Order: sequence, then C-alpha cells, then structure tokens
Amino acid sequence: MLKRINIFLKLITCNFFAFVLIIIILNFYHSRQTYSYAHDESGFIVEILSAFLVHFVVTAFVFTAVSYFFVRFFIKRPIRQLQRGMDKLAEKEFGYRLDESRKDEFGALSESFNEMASMLESSLNELKKNRDYIESILETSADIIIQASPSGKIIALNSGAENALGYQRNEVLGKPVEMLFRYPQERAEALKKLGDQDSLANYSTQFKTKEGEFRDVLLTISQIRNPSGDIIGTIGISKDVTEEFRLQTELLRSQRYASIGQVFTSVQHSMKNMLNACMGGAYMVRTGLKKENHSMLIEGWDMVQDGINSLVKMSKEMLQYVKEFKPTLRPVNLKKALSDIDDNVRQSADDRGIRFNVKIPDGLPEVICDETMIRSAVMDLVSNALDACQWKEYKDGEFAEVVLDAFEDHENHKYVIEVRDNGIGMTEEVKTSIFNPFFSTKSKSGTGLGLSITSRMIGVHDGEFDVESEPNVGTKFRIVLPIDGPIPK
Amino acid sequence: MAKKVLVVDDDVNTVKFLSVALEENGYEPLAAYNGKEGLEKIEAEHPDLAILDVMMPKKTGFVLFKQLRKSEEFKDMPVIMLTGVADSLAELDDQSEDTHERPYDNLREKLRTIIQSMKEDGLVKPDAFIDKPIDPEKVVERVRELLGD
Repeated sequence: MLKRINIFLKLITCNFFAFVLIIIILNFYHSRQTYSYAHDESGFIVEILSAFLVHFVVTAFVFTAVSYFFVRFFIKRPIRQLQRGMDKLAEKEFGYRLDESRKDEFGALSESFNEMASMLESSLNELKKNRDYIESILETSADIIIQASPSGKIIALNSGAENALGYQRNEVLGKPVEMLFRYPQERAEALKKLGDQDSLANYSTQFKTKEGEFRDVLLTISQIRNPSGDIIGTIGISKDVTEEFRLQTELLRSQRYASIGQVFTSVQHSMKNMLNACMGGAYMVRTGLKKENHSMLIEGWDMVQDGINSLVKMSKEMLQYVKEFKPTLRPVNLKKALSDIDDNVRQSADDRGIRFNVKIPDGLPEVICDETMIRSAVMDLVSNALDACQWKEYKDGEFAEVVLDAFEDHENHKYVIEVRDNGIGMTEEVKTSIFNPFFSTKSKSGTGLGLSITSRMIGVHDGEFDVESEPNVGTKFRIVLPIDGPIPK
Repeated sequence: MAKKVLVVDDDVNTVKFLSVALEENGYEPLAAYNGKEGLEKIEAEHPDLAILDVMMPKKTGFVLFKQLRKSEEFKDMPVIMLTGVADSLAELDDQSEDTHERPYDNLREKLRTIIQSMKEDGLVKPDAFIDKPIDPEKVVERVRELLGD
C-alpha cells in the first residue's frame, strides 16, 4: 500500500513538473506569437506568470481531487473498518471479524486483527470455562461455602450451605455472617486466630440452622486478596461433622465401658484366685475345729492369710498404678542396690530348682536414679523370669537359668541392666500386650499390673525398657538408664 | 477300698484343701503340681477321677486332658476341670456361640477355641467345669455324682 502511495506520489511529482515545463514552453511560444518584440519585456513576463498560475491552480485542483479520492477509498475506509472492529471488541463482541480479502497492508492488518480477536475469544472462553468449572465445584460441593465481605456481611453461599443450614440465598445475603454461628462471638475468635495468616484450618465450631438446630462443623477460613494484596473478604469452607462427632462420642463411651469391663474382668480374675485361698482355708479351719485337728486349723488359717496377703498386695499395686511417680534422685551404686534382690530371690529360685546368677561387674559408674524404684523394677523382672522358667518343660540335661547382668554403654553414657531367662518365652501376641495394665498370663498370682508399673518407673527416669523373646527359647528384658539421670522437667 | 481322686494344680493351697475335703469324704487323694507330673501320676496310679486345673506350668490342664481322651486306657476316666471362666464355658454345651455380651477376655477366648477344636476332633469334653473360687464341698458333691457313690 505504502509502496503504491510512494509510486503514486512520485508519478504525481514528475507529472507535475513535466506539466509545468510544458505549460511554460507553450506559454512562451504562444506569447512570442501574440506579442511582437516591440512590446516591452515586462508585459511579456506578466503574461507568462498569469498563464502559469492558471495552469498551476488547475493542476493543484486535479491533484487534490485525485488525492482525496485515493485517501477516501484506500485509507479512510479500511481505517474506519478497523475502528469498527475495535469498537466491537470493546463491546465484547469477540466473534466480529474484518474482511481480509484486500491484498494491501490493510488486508494484512485485518488478518492480524482477526487473529488477535480469535485468540482473545478462545482465551476468554477458556477463562469462562474455568470459572464455570470452579463455580460448579463450589456450588455442588456438599461443604458449606460462604463468602463474606471485610465487614462480615454474607456476599455469597453455595447450595451446600443452603442445604445444611436450611436458608435460601436471598434470606441471608447481605446479613452479618455471625447469624449463622451458634455462638456469634466464635467467628471473631476464629478471625483472631486467623490473624495475619492467609488461612486457618479446621476451626471447630457450631452453626445454627434456620430451624434452630446446631451442627458441628470444622471451619476452614481464608482471606481473599485482590491482585495488589488488599483483603477483600473471607471465604469459609465448613465441613458438617455432626454425625462423625456423635459416632465418635458414642465410640469413646463404648470404649470407656469396654476398658472398664476389661479392668473389672481382670480384677475379678485376680480376686478369684485370692478368694480361692480364703475359701479353701476357711474350709480347713472349719474342718480342723470340728475334728479338733490343730495342725489342720493352723494350715487352714495360713491359707486364709495367704489369700488376704495377696489381696493386700493387689490393692497396693492398684494404688501404686494410679499414683504419680516422683523419683527421689541421687547417685546410686546399682550393683550394691541390686544385691538385695539377690538375697530375696535366691531362696525362691532354689526352691523351684532354677539357677539364678548375678553377673553385675565391679567398677560400673553410679547412676542418678531412685534406688527403690529401680530395685523394685528389677525385682519384678527377675520374679517374672523365674515364673517363665517354672512354666517351661526342660529337656534332659537342660536346666532353668535366670541371669541378672549389667554393663555400661560408653558411647551413649547409659547404664544397661539385663534380665535373661531360658524359660517359656512369649509369642508375638503376648509380647505386644505385656505392658498393658491388667494383662496377665499367670492364672494364680498376677494382677497384670507389674510390668505396666515397671515400665512407668523406667519412664520417669527417661530410661528405655524393651524386651526380646522367643517361645520356648527365652526372654531378655533390658532397662537402659541415662547415667546422669532424667532431664529435669 | 477307697476310690482314688487325683488333684492336679500348681497352686499348693488348692491341692491341699481339696485333698483334705476328699479325704474327709472317704476318697484317697493323690496330688500333682503340674501337667507333666499329673500324667505320670495317672499312668502310675490309675485314679478313678482326675481334677485338673486349666492353667498350669509344664502342660496345661487342657493339653493333659486331650492326651487322656485320646489314650485308650484313660479315655473314659471322668475329669473335672477347674477354671476361672467355668460359667461361660458351660454355655458352650448347648450353643456354639456365646450369646452373652461380655468384655473381651483373653483366657476365655483361648478356652473357647480349645473346646471348639476338641468338639471338632470328636473328643468328649470334660465331665464338669468348676469355677474359682472353689467351694471344696461342691467339688466333693460333683465327684460323688460322677463316680456314682
């Protein structure tokens, strides 16, 4: 196009000069014919000039007319078309297209315009699709989704909110969002918790439905910001957990009953055995009295006493179980402290034909601990180990053995106590339950509290307590104590 | 001649008072303190009846009991079992399911499984279960019934 204008201009310019030249020559010739040399020279020049002027004006007029039509048809019209296209775009008529059949620059421009318009159209369609998609997710979500203005007025809500709360949109739009809360101040509390963060997840609160019912919800509240970062409102997504809460409460209650039931059953098991001694003893006392058999009477009475002692022991253990363990810490030579166990246990081991070996070496460091607690814990483990041996059927040549050992773990600065036996061992199932209170494999003597108490005693020392066991091979209990005692709380 | 009744229990007290009660009622009591010893006594003394505790070291009462029921010689010997959960085991007589709702109990579950497996093996279950705490006079009563005295 521009090229064409250039050529056209050049042609015009050439034409114009040629024309002027021809006119000058023609005028000059004509004047020579009309005026004689006798005429004065100035008249001749005026003649020439006026003729030139007339021709110039005519030429200029023709040129202007040609230019006008050129501009009108080749420039103004396509520009107007382009402008109309722009206006259409501004009016969001993205489907409007320009005629791109022209072969000039305007044709190319129209082509670009059309391309741009179709790109705009498709990206706007894409945007709209995305927006519709998100809107439909929000709308169809069963969660309660509510948008509020910075002043706390309800701007929008989805059908999930309508369904859950029983309100129609027009009943709540523009109203303060607090009206949906059972305790309106909880919204302010949630916002306070939200603070400067962008969102606050799972704030547990209650909504009030139109009918006045309360729904337990977990509210996730987020700040909405505009592109420049200013807060333009909040959006709250709440999950109705009323049913879950109810089931959970029910489950907790039934679990509580179940565990109370388990405790009762276990206590009853233990008591049965203790009462067994009392009942049998009472029978013997009665028979001894009837037959005036003094030794039977004494035996019977001892039996009753046994039963009472066991009951007293159980009652003490139960008390101990519920109390808080506060260790009295001081440096203790554990080899010395544990030698007490040696004396106490040896007799019982001998009676049952079990070898009991204490292998604690000399020269181990003192440990900061509660001497009584550690002694009682180790005592419990040793007596368990003896029981485990008693329950096993040993092959010929085999003998029951319980070993109490200790060593220092230099690397970790710990004191390790081990109680090993080659007794009946434990199945995986038993092993996982032994630290549970009231779990017992002993039908006669156990309350099922021993290991549970021991484990807590080690716990208050920041110690570790673990067990390795294999059925019919044996068991190893290990207590690991920090030599410098527990970290002060 | 007095009929022999063997008491097998690792609890010394139980063995003692049951022996006294049996003796008072004209039986000859025999004692053993674990399952293994119990079997030896049975083989040596051929008692007329055995009272077995369920939970015992070195062969539980049930293991011993199954052994007896499987042997030609002792399969018809009356056996009374002592247990802490006799009440719920008795229900297994008529029904395979425990219809009562009880809190979960390890021992009970274990015994239920054992009895169930015995039924499946076609073994005759114990003649009586007696619950702890044991009333010696009730034990004697059951012994009398079973021995037809």
